[in-house]
Amino acid sequence: MAAVAIRNVVKRYGANTVIHGVSAEIADGEFVVLVGPSGCGKSTLLRMIAGLEPITEGEIEIGGRVVNELEPKDRDIAMVFQNYALYPHMTVEKNMGFSLEHRGASKAEIAGRVHWAADILGLGALLQRRPGQLSGGQRQRVAMGRAIVRNPQVFLFDEPLSNLDAKLRVVMRGEIKGLHQRLGTTMVYVTHDQIEAMTMADKIVVMNAGRIEQIGTATELYDRPANLFVAGFIGSPAMNFIPGPAMGQGAGITVGVRPEHFEIADGGLAGRVRLVEPLGSDTQITCDVDGIEIVAMFHRRVAATPGDTLSLRPLAGETHRFEASTGVRL
Amino acid sequence: MRTELSPRLKLALYGLLCVLAIPFVFPTWWMVTSSVKPISQIFAFPPELIPHTFDWSSYADVFRLQPFAQQYWNSCYIAAIVTVGTMAVSSLAGYAFARIRFPGSNLLFLVVLLGLLMPTEVTIVPLFQMSLKAGMVNTHWPLILVPMLGGMPSVFSTFVMRQFFIALPVELEEAARVDGLGRFKIFWTIALPLARPALAAVAIFTFLQSWNLYLEPIVYLTSPEKYTLPQALTQYVDVYQGPMWNIQLAAATLTALPVLVVFIFAQRQFIEGLAHTGLKG
Repeated sequence: MAAVAIRNVVKRYGANTVIHGVSAEIADGEFVVLVGPSGCGKSTLLRMIAGLEPITEGEIEIGGRVVNELEPKDRDIAMVFQNYALYPHMTVEKNMGFSLEHRGASKAEIAGRVHWAADILGLGALLQRRPGQLSGGQRQRVAMGRAIVRNPQVFLFDEPLSNLDAKLRVVMRGEIKGLHQRLGTTMVYVTHDQIEAMTMADKIVVMNAGRIEQIGTATELYDRPANLFVAGFIGSPAMNFIPGPAMGQGAGITVGVRPEHFEIADGGLAGRVRLVEPLGSDTQITCDVDGIEIVAMFHRRVAATPGDTLSLRPLAGETHRFEASTGVRL
Repeated sequence: MRTELSPRLKLALYGLLCVLAIPFVFPTWWMVTSSVKPISQIFAFPPELIPHTFDWSSYADVFRLQPFAQQYWNSCYIAAIVTVGTMAVSSLAGYAFARIRFPGSNLLFLVVLLGLLMPTEVTIVPLFQMSLKAGMVNTHWPLILVPMLGGMPSVFSTFVMRQFFIALPVELEEAARVDGLGRFKIFWTIALPLARPALAAVAIFTFLQSWNLYLEPIVYLTSPEKYTLPQALTQYVDVYQGPMWNIQLAAATLTALPVLVVFIFAQRQFIEGLAHTGLKG
């Protein structure tokens, strides 16, 4: 186990800067998720931690040791790739023991570690199969098994669940979280899925256009987003943004209200119902308020039909104010 | 979605394929059957598709008139060395062009590809001069070194291997780097075993090229015991330089045998290999 420090890291491809001097501290044993939209630089940052991508400026430290110049094999990390990257010509057992074999471990040690990992991940019956004979979820488990047999200081996950269907993703999410609780090893996990980030992370790093927008726990990001980007990115359905004057605020203000923080009460925003989506216990209603689309979520059944007019009032103390020009929270 | 063909349409398609196969199958059939016919019956009209008498003496004559066994061995070992050597050179070069970024790599690859555009007839005279100076005329070295290190087979094979390695997911190699492997070990333990279909295509293509080489042997080789098979076939002539058809066809049958065997057993891999590289015929 080890802490990871990222200090003023810059990545350039020729004249194109994709990471603009980001800094973050990851504590020993912490589960940190790098989240952001496609192209925000999260995978590039992970690959720089892994040593698969050279660092243009700044430094990365793993376990108190600057690793900028070290090869991936010397960083004591293990990585799970998006497409699993299992060696197709080797059995599951061989795949899992491959790194140990190349580090000179004895056959007995390799067998012991592989069987230990296989037991944890329920892969015992699959050890003699090849990756081509496995389902997506099984391949995912083998990829994790390959990572844990080495007992590295840091695990790196690069969107490991994005190739799985929605149901399996939920299962594997739980398994990865469970693995972290069991092993206690530092994990850095990249995803573009904010639900994945919020459910798994001890700490979330929200990235956008090569910069870190905010670092915090899921509730911190949800309750006190630092800017309009984080406010809009974290939470599903996304936060509603309403120009200040419509909410009795100044022209330079944007007011944010989460969908679940509306109530139907007099004195609110008059919205014409466009869409009603019953979700069983919840009801999601999309309204048009003077040309602004507002999504409201109610934890009950609401008898409304398209064309009705509803008065949507934000709950007291549940609004967020942002400077419209910079997007910064006020 | 594929539509199931009706039995009648299937039958018609197979019939059409059989008709289309005639121009390819008939010459081979004629070669094999004529090699056991007496010479007087070879050009009889109408042609006899199945000989009514079998005369095996032409096979004995093949070995009696020339050191055919030695020539057979020459072709075998030259083709084997060229095949193995080309597989080694082209897989290393193809991997380097696909995976190692170095200044001018694309330009260099273009220069290598230009080798495909250069006809053998253009290069054979300077190569002969070089071989003469190096004392390699009437030896097998030019037939081994040229195709392996810079001839058309090695250039084409390098191209095939490069295309294959480009298509191989980079993440496999990155996973191997994280697992602790260096560049050569990644090539040897990950990339090369996965390149088996492409290597098979290269092997078959190179073997056939070397086995069928004709112009180069007649330029470089002068002694019958050094000849390779295509050159040896032309030597079965009578005193008036007319071909001794039955003997020549018997020798041709023996010459075609390994090629047929190789292709029958490896045709699936050959086609797979070319399909992997995007070079569908």
